[in-house]
Amino acid sequence: MILALEVTFGLIALAGAVSAALIRDSYGKLISLGILVGGIVPFIVDRGYLDVAIAVSLIAPIATIFVLMAVRRDEA
Amino acid sequence: MIALYLVAAVAVFAVARALIEKNTGRKLPYVNVMNFAVAGALVLLLDHPLSLVAAAAYFVGSTLEANAIASTYAGGVKR
Repeated sequence: MILALEVTFGLIALAGAVSAALIRDSYGKLISLGILVGGIVPFIVDRGYLDVAIAVSLIAPIATIFVLMAVRRDEA
Repeated sequence: MIALYLVAAVAVFAVARALIEKNTGRKLPYVNVMNFAVAGALVLLLDHPLSLVAAAAYFVGSTLEANAIASTYAGGVKR
């Protein structure tokens, strides 16, 4: 990949990771987790592991939905 | 090639706005913008037929995730 794009998507992934660590609101944490995955998937695609990218981008939302169940039970 | 730079710039702008925003309800549209920009970047990155399927899978997955978060944040299904 071009260096500028590597820096760009790396910054997106790092921003997602740092904000997931720092934000205290549970919905904000899940949103940051989505940003983290969005920064990582372009690196997987760029290496040519397209099957891995398909699997990751279908499994990551399912993990988020499981965490959402825990968030909702915690609120109720 | 310029389309790829444009899409990456849109993604960075959306991430910055989503992280600056304090209100969770206002974060969600910017996360959607970032998801669309990343889905566009996935198609443009690699010249391979399967990259279209990967981008479609990322599009479906990220839309599902954002809708699940938004629906739960809005109150969810009343049981």
